[in-house]
Amino acid sequence: MAKGNELSDKSETGSLFALRSFLDFLFPSENDRWLSVLRIGLGLQTVVYALFLRSDWHYLFASTGKGLIGREVGEAITTFDSPLIPKLGWLIALGRSVNISEEAVLSVAWACLLSAGCFLLLGLFCRPAAIIAWFLHLCAAESGGLLAYGADNFMTTALFYLMLSPLPDSYSFDQWVAKTKPRNPQLLGFWRRVLQVHLCFVYFIGGLAKCLGNGWWDGSNLWRSLIRPPFNLVPPEILVRFKYTLPALGISICLLEVSYPIFIWMKKTRRVWLISILAMHAAIGLLIGLYLFALVMIVLNLAAFGANSRIESGFLSRRKRTGAFVQISSRADT
Amino acid sequence: MFPKRIYAAWFGIHFVLITAVCFAGLFSLIAEGATILPSALQPYARKAEVAAAWVLGKQTTASSPVRRGIATYLHAAGIQAGYTFFAPNVPGYDRLTLELFYDDGRVERESPRLRSKAAGLRLDSLLDRLAEQSYEPIREAIVKRLAFSVWREYPDVKKIHAVFGSVTPPDIAEFERGKPETFQPIFSFDFSLREGHGEGQ
Repeated sequence: MAKGNELSDKSETGSLFALRSFLDFLFPSENDRWLSVLRIGLGLQTVVYALFLRSDWHYLFASTGKGLIGREVGEAITTFDSPLIPKLGWLIALGRSVNISEEAVLSVAWACLLSAGCFLLLGLFCRPAAIIAWFLHLCAAESGGLLAYGADNFMTTALFYLMLSPLPDSYSFDQWVAKTKPRNPQLLGFWRRVLQVHLCFVYFIGGLAKCLGNGWWDGSNLWRSLIRPPFNLVPPEILVRFKYTLPALGISICLLEVSYPIFIWMKKTRRVWLISILAMHAAIGLLIGLYLFALVMIVLNLAAFGANSRIESGFLSRRKRTGAFVQISSRADT
Repeated sequence: MFPKRIYAAWFGIHFVLITAVCFAGLFSLIAEGATILPSALQPYARKAEVAAAWVLGKQTTASSPVRRGIATYLHAAGIQAGYTFFAPNVPGYDRLTLELFYDDGRVERESPRLRSKAAGLRLDSLLDRLAEQSYEPIREAIVKRLAFSVWREYPDVKKIHAVFGSVTPPDIAEFERGKPETFQPIFSFDFSLREGHGEGQ
């Protein structure tokens, strides 16, 4: 009986320890430097996104007969998933009800998106700017539907996290003007954790999927991705000169991505992994022209693991302390 | 103080959804035989994909509030698609060529295009999707719209012959031997144009 009690006490202590460790992991105390990096980075990303699409904005999102394929196709596919997903059609219908033309609504939406990006860059009206940027970008991504690509999803995710994070940060103009009280460090830590864990998923799944393709082991996938239009910025004649390095580079990318969730948390390897991942994204931007994708990934990595490096010391030292506490108390019980 | 339990619960639900989306995509690749894994695993991968889809509510009817609620959240958070970019292998690319027929017998070749290069990436993304089997029902409608966008710039054109196909680039050794890329047509449509309306034939 006493042994039974002892066992249940131990398992209870074990589960309590696990829960406590999990909560310690989820809510580390952090300052808001990472949030400043995320806000400024996403402000820049939003501005660049709006400017890149400036000349094609109406052509991409106009209705059938005026644009490339018409906004309605993307919106119909989105509506099939759920009619509650925001889309530009909502804003256009709203504009129509007050006699504003589709063209004018699209222009206003573009101008608002650009302005929200600028406001985020400056840190002015941070929360409303983040919400507007997220909403308008989501509307554009969903109405564009078939024309969207990976960078759009990452941008939506990043803006989604930014608008939920405890803004404004101490480097923002808002803070300078209003002098609001400092945010809860554990809440700041929680949102950074969300970002960190999300990136671990991204790289692990991406790396694992690449490992399952034979083309990443012999370098042929790198060759194919570098010569296919519109990514063919480097002439194939130059690539041929480096043909013996392609297999090594392909394998390195697979290993770098699949092992990211392990080595990015270790203090000794974090800097190497972070620099390697940043270099990989910079190369993606420069060599295949995926500038928006490269920029958003660099911003996310810098905010998650680059802004300050007190993550491991915080989490692990707390875990050690908690472990010691549990050990002492269980000795006292016996 | 803020409610830690609520935040922790949200964290759990959020990452369960991300896991389901990611693994549904990964299992789908295995089930399609697109990976180096043995084909014996394909039926199991299909079952696992169905299980992941169940978590996302995709086994319910399209009008189910649960399914719609999950889909709305996934889109709002930008997590509706997995992260298997350029994986497991990088496929060839797709090309849409439009042959423009004039009344006087002239024939010109043209492709849909956008002004900026950044937006051009999106057009390629669209063409890649058209090649997928799941987009087969809307192919004609999309190609018709793309043909119509070109016709607006060339109003004298009477007929457009659209050919969509897959381009297989040479590998390094083939490139060194001078082999060009190969084009395999997948489908084609003819559109006759009159008074601002395109008609698929």
